[in-house]
Amino acid sequence: MIAPAGSTLWLMRHELRLFWRGMARRRGGGRMRRIWLTIALPLILMVAAGLPLGFALRRIHQIPPTPAVGLISTAVLVALFTLMLSQTLGAAITALYERADLDLLFSSPLAPRRVLAVRFLAVSVNVFSIFAMILTPILLPIAVMGHPTWLAALVVLFAVALAASGAGLLLAAALFRLIGPRRTRTVGQVLAAVIGAAFFLTAQARNILGGAKTASVWAVVLETALNPRFRGIPGLSWPIRAMVGEPLPLLATVGVGGGVFLIANQLLGARFAADAAAAAGAGVGSSGRRARTGGRTRFSASAFNATLLKELRLIARDPALIAQVLLRVLYFVPVGFIVLRSAGQGQSFALPGSAAALALITGQIAGSLAWITVSAEDAPDLLSCAPTPTRTLRQAKIAAAALPVAILLVPVIVPLLWLSPLTSIAAALGSAASIAMAAMMNIWWQRPGKRSDFRRRRQSSWLVAVAELMLGLVIAIATGLAAAGLFGWALIPALLALAGVLMLRRTDAQIAQALRTAS
Amino acid sequence: MTDALAIRGLSKTFGGKVAVDNLSLNVRAGELYALLGPNGAGKTTTLRMVAGLLKPNSGEISVFGHDVLTDPAGAKQIIAWAPDEPMLYDRLTPMEYLEFVAGLWGVEAAVAAPKAEELLRWLGLWDNRGEPCEGFSRGMKQKTALAGALIHDPQLLILDEPLTGLDAAVARQVKDLLQARVKAGATVILTTHILEVAERMADRIGIIQNGRLVADGTLDELRTRSGEGKATLEDLFLELTGTGETAEGVSPEGIQA
Repeated sequence: MIAPAGSTLWLMRHELRLFWRGMARRRGGGRMRRIWLTIALPLILMVAAGLPLGFALRRIHQIPPTPAVGLISTAVLVALFTLMLSQTLGAAITALYERADLDLLFSSPLAPRRVLAVRFLAVSVNVFSIFAMILTPILLPIAVMGHPTWLAALVVLFAVALAASGAGLLLAAALFRLIGPRRTRTVGQVLAAVIGAAFFLTAQARNILGGAKTASVWAVVLETALNPRFRGIPGLSWPIRAMVGEPLPLLATVGVGGGVFLIANQLLGARFAADAAAAAGAGVGSSGRRARTGGRTRFSASAFNATLLKELRLIARDPALIAQVLLRVLYFVPVGFIVLRSAGQGQSFALPGSAAALALITGQIAGSLAWITVSAEDAPDLLSCAPTPTRTLRQAKIAAAALPVAILLVPVIVPLLWLSPLTSIAAALGSAASIAMAAMMNIWWQRPGKRSDFRRRRQSSWLVAVAELMLGLVIAIATGLAAAGLFGWALIPALLALAGVLMLRRTDAQIAQALRTAS
Repeated sequence: MTDALAIRGLSKTFGGKVAVDNLSLNVRAGELYALLGPNGAGKTTTLRMVAGLLKPNSGEISVFGHDVLTDPAGAKQIIAWAPDEPMLYDRLTPMEYLEFVAGLWGVEAAVAAPKAEELLRWLGLWDNRGEPCEGFSRGMKQKTALAGALIHDPQLLILDEPLTGLDAAVARQVKDLLQARVKAGATVILTTHILEVAERMADRIGIIQNGRLVADGTLDELRTRSGEGKATLEDLFLELTGTGETAEGVSPEGIQA
């Protein structure tokens, strides 16, 4: 059936096509990767999880809706909701700002409200598809082996996706009202990253907050569910009953998900269209940030200082980059807390591992920033026609990548110097080595690209990406061994890392030749 | 007197395709030189080699006596290059952009700060100096890039299609600025497809085709050489480059709706 041009279905097809093409472009990887994602991964999931579960459950006619089962299944749905909300909020922000085609659609005779409703419905379908790709190979064998009604779990998943899409729209619109178009872009993307990491952060609550009474949220859920005195909460069993196909709970779940989506679109559809138009004008002329008439200028005759300042400004003003890097910083935070708490409580066994983790994560963050500063240069010709030596520019760019990481590291390393000097020194040296390695790899193996290609930066050279990760791991092992006082043993991975770095070294002429070939 | 630009036997190929073919050219100090040619004639490639962005396969380029190949830093110090696509950072403001460019060319703060203010005021960007460039129109971006090119007071200003996409008012501002620079003693080399601009502004004109210089001189000299005393630059250009003929069997009327 061909949908008539301009109809909702036609618009939906357009949105879905754009999403999947964008997804394929972001993921990259070619035919082998597509085969892996569409055939191998579902097969593995089916064989490893679907078939054993289907076999185990074939004689069980009904899952008992006990309070424990209800609590665990609800917690899983909440976790899924947060993961989906992270994506739908990101999509809402994208719809507001990175909207090459929205101008075209808004200038057409189609109603803006319908355009946005279809766009958010497409977001729900897309988010649902990603999770359904994992769930379906597990559900199918269970359904075939005696539980066909369990396919209703997919309907529940779609209802959650609809609710997440509605919530994402509400959140984006609220941010727009509260903090204005400019800040919404940055805050929205950062918030999406934080929500996406909520699963990890709640699992690390004990490490972050400390104290004997604080535990991982997931541990608390499990503990509560397994407590024989837990009597449950009214309605808690509805999600699991909906997932196994009980009509009334299923209808209620679909009603809630669809309701949130419809209400959000009904309430905010028109307003969101206006917000989108306002966001488009936010960067232009007088409606944008006001000129800082009395602002202090920072002219400097030093090319190093000028380049460092320019790179720091560009890093600080790139919301997508901040959101991406923030994810790694979020993983850094619990490690920092672990190392400080372990040192404070004299638990020496946790210190070497934490020092190693610090070295690994700092190298990863520095590597990401170094790619941005070195490879994702917006005006390479400007630098090429300047009389500044390439070495000076590189040094400034690497300093710009290392500085934020150093700032992140100081609050952990400095107090640690008092609590456990050896761990502090080992972590500082290991992190410095890791940062230096990441910087050198990014200079020697420059992969010119756009800032927007940040997520795909590793795909331009898998060998280098793997080498960078492996070297980071080896440096982390050396750091851990040194923190444990095993200096002789630490020398082995340290020398191994050094040898690896030297093997991957490129001369300036080789770098220039590679860049010429790439361009 | 030293030439602002002296090119001898310059050649550049890209994968076997000849872009610039044994080109020799002189531009005198203090003149506005227009380099014309059809699309793909080798104008931009030539200017990119002069700016030190491309290495030639053979030949010599000298800017005020500095050999671009053996003394690139010395040559770059006195050159400014402004391509048709402005080299800007979307998330920097014009003032921050000028701070960066001044730093790259080592301009002292005491000189750069008033110069930046003067340029931004002159180009009508002073009120926008604190706004990121990403929301700027093409004309505003072009003017910001031009301010960047002028912040270090270059002796040789090279502009590739500086008027493309500009409205009449901005184009006038840019033309006035270029003439003011020439009056102040700087040398300007520009490429343009707008032949009236070259006809009105240029002291001398070079016409390049298939990577070779096919004509060079003042407009009167070009007319004398072609034997067409009253010819316009457009007539001369079409005659010299042989691009006046239309495709066989196709007339403008034929492609009307």
